[in-house]
Amino acid sequence: MATLPAFFKKNEEGAGAPRGRDAATRTNRMRAVRDPFQLRALPHEHLFLYNKRIDNSRLVREADPKSRGACWSAIGAASVLAVLLTSASAPSVATTIAGYKLEALRIEERRLLEEHRGLDLQEAELLSPARLDRLAQQNNLVAPSSGQVFHLEGKPQGAVAMAK
Amino acid sequence: MVERRLTCLAVIILLWGAAILKNLISLQVVHHREYAIRARSIQEVEVEIPAPRGTIFDRDGRPLAMSLASRSVFINPMKVDIGVASDLLGYLLHMDRGELFLKIKQAADAHRGYLTIKRKLTPEEYDNLLNLKSRVEWVSLSHESQRHYPNGTLAAHVLGSVDFEEKGNAGIEKSLDTELRGTPGRTRLLTDVHRRGIAPQTSIPAKPGTSLTLTIDERLQFVAEREIAAAVLSYNAASGSVVVMKPDTGDILAMASYPTFDPNIPVERGEDAKPRMNHAFSVPFEPGSVYKVVTYSAGFETTDLRPETPINCNGGKLTFGIRTIHDSHAGMWVVPAATAFAKSSNIGAIQVGLKVGQVNMHDYMLRFGFGQKTGLPLPGESPGKVYRLERWGKTSLASVSMGQEVSVTTLQLAQAGCVIASGGMLVKPRLVLKRGDRTEPVPAPVRVLKPENAITMRQMMEGVVLVGTGSRARLAGYSSGGKTGSAQIYDYASKHYTHTYNGSYMGFAPMANPQVVVVVTLNGTHGESGFGGHAAAPVFKIVAGEALRVFDVPKDLPENVPARTLVAGNPEDLNDLAIADLGGAGHNILQDTEDAATGEAETAPPEPPVYGPHPVETAPGVPLGPPAAAGPPPAVAAPPRPQGPRVPNFRGMTMRAVLAEAAAKGLFILPDGSGIARVQSPPPGAPLHQGERIRVQFAQ
Repeated sequence: MATLPAFFKKNEEGAGAPRGRDAATRTNRMRAVRDPFQLRALPHEHLFLYNKRIDNSRLVREADPKSRGACWSAIGAASVLAVLLTSASAPSVATTIAGYKLEALRIEERRLLEEHRGLDLQEAELLSPARLDRLAQQNNLVAPSSGQVFHLEGKPQGAVAMAK
Repeated sequence: MVERRLTCLAVIILLWGAAILKNLISLQVVHHREYAIRARSIQEVEVEIPAPRGTIFDRDGRPLAMSLASRSVFINPMKVDIGVASDLLGYLLHMDRGELFLKIKQAADAHRGYLTIKRKLTPEEYDNLLNLKSRVEWVSLSHESQRHYPNGTLAAHVLGSVDFEEKGNAGIEKSLDTELRGTPGRTRLLTDVHRRGIAPQTSIPAKPGTSLTLTIDERLQFVAEREIAAAVLSYNAASGSVVVMKPDTGDILAMASYPTFDPNIPVERGEDAKPRMNHAFSVPFEPGSVYKVVTYSAGFETTDLRPETPINCNGGKLTFGIRTIHDSHAGMWVVPAATAFAKSSNIGAIQVGLKVGQVNMHDYMLRFGFGQKTGLPLPGESPGKVYRLERWGKTSLASVSMGQEVSVTTLQLAQAGCVIASGGMLVKPRLVLKRGDRTEPVPAPVRVLKPENAITMRQMMEGVVLVGTGSRARLAGYSSGGKTGSAQIYDYASKHYTHTYNGSYMGFAPMANPQVVVVVTLNGTHGESGFGGHAAAPVFKIVAGEALRVFDVPKDLPENVPARTLVAGNPEDLNDLAIADLGGAGHNILQDTEDAATGEAETAPPEPPVYGPHPVETAPGVPLGPPAAAGPPPAVAAPPRPQGPRVPNFRGMTMRAVLAEAAAKGLFILPDGSGIARVQSPPPGAPLHQGERIRVQFAQ
């Protein structure tokens, strides 16, 4: 990177400075008697960068039907290969996914069966004769004595209820 | 230079490829099997598919016993810090930490590698342990099956129980264990990296245990258990049992025993075994007078005995060899066989037995199924005891005739009752109605009695209820027959009969077409209130009434009948306490007490009643009875007949004849069934009220 002191120094040299061996001698002398106020050179101080516009708009790629065909062939082959690979592996993937689902469903089935049995047990406990008898006693429900039960003898036609 | 470098590179690549190839061959060819197994062991898990134990249902499909999955926690005592483990597990499982510490320490000291900490975890405990298991490695959880009896003590003696491995150790759980136990299945499951199952590789399907449908009816069983428990407690008995059977198929509708137990609670060491004993099935006893049904049946079959045949009860005292037998009815002399049976006269039964003879009596004892196992699929059945003929002594026939020197179970008595109720056919008791979906066939019945003799016995047994010792068994709305029995219990220590009794009652209802046979036995009752007619007959009344209601059997009598029909207005009429003694000798097998008075008398005449004329006062010619005395049929006091129109007797008539007669007399008939008129309500001779309908039941 060029710095401004280096730039000016170069220009001075370009204007009236000695060339060749003289210049080198002078430089060495100058370094020997180094100016204490002179800044040290930066790395890559001798390089100069600048921007140059290049216009490639006039360049046109030469048409090459052969290579284009080869390209499309390659793309087609790759696609066919991908389809073939996908087709070949699809059953296996589907089987794996179905296996996951199947196993999940089996676990669910076992869980539901167990839950069903649990509910059956709960129902049986709730309908236990001993429990019903206890509840009946708590609610002062008694079995009808003989004479309190009337057996109805069929519903007449058109009647909505039986009575005796 | 470049070529040399390329050559080196090619060599290196070649060597690399060769190394890969060598390893490939090693993996895929040489060690293929070994690596395949290792891979499978990592990728696959073997999962056990549980096979639940078969459910036991009652005859209507209500579950009596069923299994549910449960979880247990176990540890390896050798690999745990005992203090930490006992603290954590004690906290999570609500267990005493000190006890747990000792338990784990003892297992560790014994170098045990497996210790079950707790079974039957609650869902909350299981969740807590799952959390713990994700943090520590020494806790393991296992899935098990747990047996539940949703009705608690209901039918406990029939169902039995299972041990901690769900293996049957009593009742039908034990006898049909192989059928009830399922066979667990196994599947090898391919899993992913998260151990999620992908698909089963090989699978052995689980085979669940066979479900059993019993002939037991849950409602009847409950009523039977409730009533026998109440009776045992009321009469201060030691134990009791009830058996309810269907006479046509032999189905056991209820088999209750008291004391009882809850099969949900596992057996403890040193626990009293008595509550777990099926008294109806495993405990034989001397039946006493209820056994006279067999004696009279054999009499009808092998002799010319008829219900009206006069029997000399000899004033209630009979000297038989060196033994003297007393009846409580000191006034009973010559009475019809039906009266002797209804009053449960021991002397009368002995007279009949003597007429039958030892060989015939022994033969009929066996024909009725005594002395043999019934073959129910329950463990521990007692066959009872019937001595071989060679072992019969001089007084054995007399003893057996009144139900001594023979031991029976309540179930055998019910089987014998079914012979009478089913028209003379012996049906084998049946407990299992279905195995899975397969209905068990009804065993072919065997004829024991001629139909006419069975019908005669039914009528004799109806007399026991109407005018005899079984009046407390009388049902509202149904006709019924039965026989009471009370036998003194023999004390083997003192070699004497004690004043504790086996009170029993065997009955059936309704009379025309019996639908249920109920036998009630109370063991170890005390005093007269513990006799069969007093203590057991009311249990029959409630259980049989409930059974008839449950099975919707039409009533054959009006509900409002007089509370009791007494032959005479004396309480002693119903007290036929019989004592047979040896005159102070030790072993008295003939000592028998028969059923006590069961009801209050409306009037109390000052003198004890006398049934039949005294033999001295009548002409000789009684077919049965050692004293040569017999007279006309007994004089049985009958209640005065009220005035007014009466219900005609339709019994034995065809439906056409009944309808014709009813039309001629302007009566309204409600016919039921077909065939011959068997039962009518109101009964013949009853006062007929205006507009009253007469229900007539016809049967073939």
